[in-house]
Amino acid sequence: MSRQLLVEKMSPVVVDAAMAPGAGSLGGPTADDRAAAEPALRVADLTKSFRSGFARRRLRGIEGVSFTVGRGEVYALLGHNGAGKTTTIGCLLDLVRPERGEVTLLGRDHRDRASRARVGYLPERPYFFDYLTGRELLEFYADLLDVPRRERTDRIDRVLRQVDMLPDAGRRLNKYSKGMLQRLGLAQALLGDPELLILDEPMSGLDPLGRREVRSLLQELKRQGTTIVLSSHIVPDVEELADAVGILRDGRLVLNQRLDSQTGACTYLVRAAAPAKAVLAAGLPGWALPVGTAEDSAGSDTPPTLLATDAEKLRELLDACHRAGLPVRTVEAQRSGLEDLFMRTHAQRTVV
Amino acid sequence: MTRRHVTALARGTFRETVRDRVFYLVAVFGFVMLASTTVLSPLTIGAQGKIVSDVGLAAMVVLGLLVVVFVGSGMVRKELDKGTITTILAKPVGRREYLLGKFLGLNLTMAAMLAVMGVMFLLMLLMSPGAFSLRFLVAFYLTFLELSVVTAVVVFFSTCVSPVLAAVFTLGVFVAGHLSQSIRDFGSLQEGVVTQAASTLVYYALPNLEVFNVRGAVVHGDPVTIAHVALATLYGVCWASLLLLLSGAVFSRRELRG
Repeated sequence: MSRQLLVEKMSPVVVDAAMAPGAGSLGGPTADDRAAAEPALRVADLTKSFRSGFARRRLRGIEGVSFTVGRGEVYALLGHNGAGKTTTIGCLLDLVRPERGEVTLLGRDHRDRASRARVGYLPERPYFFDYLTGRELLEFYADLLDVPRRERTDRIDRVLRQVDMLPDAGRRLNKYSKGMLQRLGLAQALLGDPELLILDEPMSGLDPLGRREVRSLLQELKRQGTTIVLSSHIVPDVEELADAVGILRDGRLVLNQRLDSQTGACTYLVRAAAPAKAVLAAGLPGWALPVGTAEDSAGSDTPPTLLATDAEKLRELLDACHRAGLPVRTVEAQRSGLEDLFMRTHAQRTVV
Repeated sequence: MTRRHVTALARGTFRETVRDRVFYLVAVFGFVMLASTTVLSPLTIGAQGKIVSDVGLAAMVVLGLLVVVFVGSGMVRKELDKGTITTILAKPVGRREYLLGKFLGLNLTMAAMLAVMGVMFLLMLLMSPGAFSLRFLVAFYLTFLELSVVTAVVVFFSTCVSPVLAAVFTLGVFVAGHLSQSIRDFGSLQEGVVTQAASTLVYYALPNLEVFNVRGAVVHGDPVTIAHVALATLYGVCWASLLLLLSGAVFSRRELRG
């Protein structure tokens, strides 16, 4: 794994690169213009503690959380269960009232109800009314979103198609599986044509196929320019999507980093179309064969997976294969490092 | 306040509770209660119609109360646990709109239930000679008002305490509300200033639900004046509005953490 990925900085950092200049231009920008120039989400110094039990003991929820998400970006909030992800998201939507800090949603204060008009939200465990059908539920949400009545049916059909739930829309929700409820949850989040999607653990409760579908749906939305903030405790789920990550630990944002600063930080897995013996005998650079690979593959027919930790090494490895006459079957790029980063920030726990 | 939001919330709540099997069970129970009066009535001589209407009207109040209390008490908590409330309030919907919509939906459910029971009741009276009278509609209307106040009480408690406590408190208010007139009368007969003041305080702190109870008068053919009905309407509307305003104030401050 490439070492340059590991960032030592352990204090909250505000990613400012995405912030658009707030300065007014000639001609006097309107309030809407100013809002459009603002980042999709700005969170500054968010602090919230909870009181619990008879003695009203103070429990820390989150402390000093700050981050900014630019328009069209995907921001992943990572952390273990109980790290403060859901509390942070609750604060963004004015469901939880922070003691300190500011939140700006699409250029408006988050306490302003109108700020939520173009925000879609999926809670962690979405359950809805039991006795409504999927379509009735979406009609209900469409009314709350003030979707014009003429557009209502079309819009509902569109989001149902997006989450692949059109055939099941006539069934009552208590007949839905967990995965179907999750997809319907996504449908209601998409109903208002959101500019900003806030998703709390969108992949939880889904089977591998469902996860892949959700991931590709989010990728599609990202391509269309939707800003997405999602939380997860499963790193690979967000790795391909996220432009920036924030890692929460015990209520603090211990790391806040853009992932595009790690361009080239891919690990490439190369598989040759030749028997193991031929690969081992080809005289490839030593770093391409992880420790122990030679011993493991010596007696087997399956060729070992060769490893290049960056693009330069990949070129070198492919050249070496070419020279040795080894046909290459596949090259797979993996943006690794995030998992490392995550583990690293959490490994500190034992030291503290 | 947007009318469309409130209507959508009320309709959603109504649909959900009406389709919930609890509602049907209670409706069936109501039918059984009313039917049982036909078993009881042969035991009485000459007062057949009165027994049927007495038991029937009492059953309507009790069953209406049960639906309101048991559906209403878990309203906020259940939706909070399920996460439904967060998806609603993450949309541009105000918390007061949410409460008003829920109240109206629950009220509509209760009204529908009273209507069904009322029709069943009147049909049964048609079978007892001389018992049928349209004056019962006044008793139905005032029962509806009474249960509307109780609905507002349960909405208020559901915003601030757990479902079990909300149910217990609401039932407490229902019982005390029927006794509040007696408590004041009792206080005024006492010598002590403190007792008098306390009984007056209790009277004003609780809705006097006896105002809505014209069931006995209707059954026994005593007069119920239009002025009484009008004042009772005003009284009920004032209490329900006050309780909803109070609920709104409490709910707006509340943390919504699942």
